Amino acid sequence: MQRPLKHIICKNTFWLSAERCMYWEEEKALIAADLHFGKTGHFRKSGIAVPQSIYKEDLQRLISVVQYFKPQQLIITGDLFHSEANKELDFFQKWRNDLSTLKIHLVKGNHDILPGDWYQHSGIEIHQQDWTLHDIYFCHDLSGPASIIPNAQLYSISGHIHPAIHLNGAGRQSLRLPCFYFTKNHAVLPAFSRFTGTHLIEPKKGDAVFAIADQKIFRVS
Amino acid sequence: MSLPLKNTIGYRVVCDWLAAQQRQPFLFQQETWQHIINGESGLVNAPTGCGKTFSVFLGSLIQFINEHPGDYRNKINCGLQLLWITPLRALAKDIARAMEEVVSSLEMKWKIATRNGDTGTAERARQKRQMPEVLIITPESLHLLLAQKGYAELFSSLKIIAIDEWHELLGSKRGVQVELAISRIIHSPRSDCPLQIWGISATIGNLEEAKNVLLSPLEKKGVIVKAGMDKTVEVESIFPDEIEKYPWAGHLGIKLIHKVIPVIRKSRSTLIFINTRGMSETWYQKILDVCPELAGAIALHHGSVDRELRNWVEENLHKGNLKAVVCTASLDLGVDFRPVETVIQVGSPKGVARFLQRAGRSGHSFDETSKIYFLPTHSLELMEAAALKKAIGENIIERRTPLLLCFDVLIQYLNTLAVSDGFDPDKVFKEITGTYCYKEMTTDEWHHLLHFMMHGGNALQQYDDYKKLEWDEGLFQIKNRRIAMRHRMNIGTIVSEAMMKVKLIGGSYAGIVEEYFISRLQPGDVFTLAGRNLEFVMIKDMTALVKKSSSRKSIVPSWLGGRMPLSASLGFMLRKTLNEVSGHLHPETGRRKNETLSRELISLLPLFELQQQISHVPEENELLIEQIETEDGYHLFVYPFEGRLVHEAMAALLAYRISRITSITFSFAMNDYSFELLSDQPIPVNDSNVYELFSPENLLEDIRRSVNSTEMAKRKFRDISVIGGLVFQGYPGEQKKARHLQNSASLLFNVLSEYEPGNLLLRQSYSEVMEQQMEEARLRDMLARIQQSRIVITFPQQLTPFCFPVKVDSMREDLSSEKLEDRIKKMILQEGT
Repeated sequence: MQRPLKHIICKNTFWLSAERCMYWEEEKALIAADLHFGKTGHFRKSGIAVPQSIYKEDLQRLISVVQYFKPQQLIITGDLFHSEANKELDFFQKWRNDLSTLKIHLVKGNHDILPGDWYQHSGIEIHQQDWTLHDIYFCHDLSGPASIIPNAQLYSISGHIHPAIHLNGAGRQSLRLPCFYFTKNHAVLPAFSRFTGTHLIEPKKGDAVFAIADQKIFRVS
Repeated sequence: MSLPLKNTIGYRVVCDWLAAQQRQPFLFQQETWQHIINGESGLVNAPTGCGKTFSVFLGSLIQFINEHPGDYRNKINCGLQLLWITPLRALAKDIARAMEEVVSSLEMKWKIATRNGDTGTAERARQKRQMPEVLIITPESLHLLLAQKGYAELFSSLKIIAIDEWHELLGSKRGVQVELAISRIIHSPRSDCPLQIWGISATIGNLEEAKNVLLSPLEKKGVIVKAGMDKTVEVESIFPDEIEKYPWAGHLGIKLIHKVIPVIRKSRSTLIFINTRGMSETWYQKILDVCPELAGAIALHHGSVDRELRNWVEENLHKGNLKAVVCTASLDLGVDFRPVETVIQVGSPKGVARFLQRAGRSGHSFDETSKIYFLPTHSLELMEAAALKKAIGENIIERRTPLLLCFDVLIQYLNTLAVSDGFDPDKVFKEITGTYCYKEMTTDEWHHLLHFMMHGGNALQQYDDYKKLEWDEGLFQIKNRRIAMRHRMNIGTIVSEAMMKVKLIGGSYAGIVEEYFISRLQPGDVFTLAGRNLEFVMIKDMTALVKKSSSRKSIVPSWLGGRMPLSASLGFMLRKTLNEVSGHLHPETGRRKNETLSRELISLLPLFELQQQISHVPEENELLIEQIETEDGYHLFVYPFEGRLVHEAMAALLAYRISRITSITFSFAMNDYSFELLSDQPIPVNDSNVYELFSPENLLEDIRRSVNSTEMAKRKFRDISVIGGLVFQGYPGEQKKARHLQNSASLLFNVLSEYEPGNLLLRQSYSEVMEQQMEEARLRDMLARIQQSRIVITFPQQLTPFCFPVKVDSMREDLSSEKLEDRIKKMILQEGT
């Protein structure tokens, strides 16, 4: 894995990983969005043959970043699970039991529709709409109906849109890459899951964008 | 044992009925009837409008009457006798009406019914209780029947399957659906009579093959009955007044509009065929501008015009209420438009068969002459009129190549069987490999396919709940009702582009436009649809809301479809046509000097003479390459006349091979006649290396390295993944999607490429790229031909008439149309001749 890139927000240090998540040094927190666990299983249960290995790999990547940063807590800004419970989530719980000391905070996203006791049973602390930790405000979809930031001074971090950036290369080649997107007071994380579509963002001047390609992360603006 | 037709009671009954209407059977009809009562199968080759329906339908009646000579009038509820497969639902109604007329005149009790997407549930249920004697059905609806429990029952008394317009279905995945359905019905338990199969087809270059594809599951040779009454087609070109002043390229033919108006005026009803939807919008506007009194008497018809409006146009065309209709391929097929007297083809029809089909839309009766005008959109296109005439004279018509090993259609079909009564894999394997499409399928591929359908590819065993095919009582079945329902909803092989409805605010639907086009519009932008200028307001509920606009300026949507390449047959005829020209330009060789050139070629002589003077006019056994230096850089023009797709592949291939000689970068452009490589440095192609550059050796490897086949395969995968049931598109236009099951084909393509590269559907998308996108077989033929040809390389000091169309096409992307026109003027001035 490539060394993470450092990015400072409100005097806090964040390490951006090519594995589509970031580490908050001061709070020893790993932050990720849109993991969509159980998505392949959901499709497969409906008779649509998507390869399950992509889910296994997503889970393994999460384990490896946890081992790399050794966080005390994991903050998910929504869409940890894709839909209703299925066998794939048993696999998640097995992993959860192996890391029982890790605290998990889930700020619920539109896909998180599992019953409350399921989360409780899995040791996941639920935040219905948003959650504030020190100067940082977490929510799933900042443009969504529930997103009225209680305090405009807060820096917010969200997910949901699966941001990607269009890059033009030589020879009329163009690439669409998942990215981290930072504006002056807001950050959008890339979707952690690799089985997700993306939404193109149009960064404005002064915004910071970090694109991810082939397990590498680099700043593009 | 054969029964002489004329001694049978059925024949007499039918002939008496015909005689009562002062008609008598055609020879080919009688021939077909004889074969039918002999129990034969085969193919009837007859053009539209000369009684092809009656050849098979009356045969089926005669057969029935012969079997029930005493009580044929009173027999009711005999079960399905004749299954009539048609590609177009619009045709079904007309055919049913004609059949009903016969049945009631003969005082028989046969029921005729249609079944397609428009058939209501009550009618479907009625059919299930009691099948009509004749069922007219589309391939999709036939597969839906196979998805019903106990479907075999419905076919148990069936005697004849007729496939109408087989030339239209052959070569498409719908044709493969027909093959599969036939194989299933033949092998279903049935009463004693053997099943007969009769295709009905217009003339195509491979009739024998067309018949073999249909009859493959029967393991019979069958017969071909030729009507031999192809209509006389009269082709007349519309000439520009002065060829030198008519644009060499880059126009829509609109400059000749003043010559079109009198043609419209003097005909009862005229069809004007335009190649693209965008151009048809422009033409419609321009005709109204030039001739405002035609308002209300002319109409526009293309695939994006609202269905209701299209129906209205068709109906009024049928009744003779319209003076002219500007249309696209959307009117190639369909109901009989008797009032149409004249057809105008604007621009290249791209193929002989298509040109004949369009011509045949006028003078619908077999003894009438079909009249078609050809209007060139640039000077050289006149050459195509000459080639078309020649092709028609020599009866050179395109082949329709049947598709092979379409795994997506097969997966869909197997799921269909699993949804209804389940299938026994060994039995079905035998049936499937009896079809033409899948006869080369290996047992390996079959097992791979079944494994994929049963287990869904790579899985994590204990954490998987993949569910689709289940194995029960020796049969593969789909038992989950929701999965079964979703499958039924998605049966079919026509995958539409992502389209968006266009609706006037607070008003009616205006039509549909590709989502891609709408996504590029800003609110306030004005575009043209169905002849109206519309201002884009917003997108709401997957519908583009618009309001009427009085703005004179508007964007014409560029629909992506409809870019057919020039056919191989027409390309061949074009090269032959040039041969004549070349012979004329070199009278000193004494060859063909007595041959009279057609009017089109004579009018083009000034252009050909200029071409010969500054470069060369290639003969049939020559390949012309021009190297020209301009302020844009170094151009290499190559003229194979093999159609856009082959040229695209060849340009990439040539660029790749040249770049191995020296480090160099190119941009490409191509059209149906030629392609261009452009570089900022001299292009090292000369007598010493040119044959090697056009060598068929290592073709596959070189192509894989030269084109982005992954991107192309991804595009092919869009349709394949929908047909194969990996992506659901819901009901057209309704965006009805199952919760949390949204997925895009391109994401799935990436995922499969990474995690399951051996996936059959993935492999199919790559082979479709080679076969359809690259036209590999044709590319290979071309290279072989070039190896046998003389390659002529010239170095003209200026742009030549031949290179103009492609040169201008290539500019089109960067320049707006006004600038383009200026640019062309400038280029012509630079010629200075």
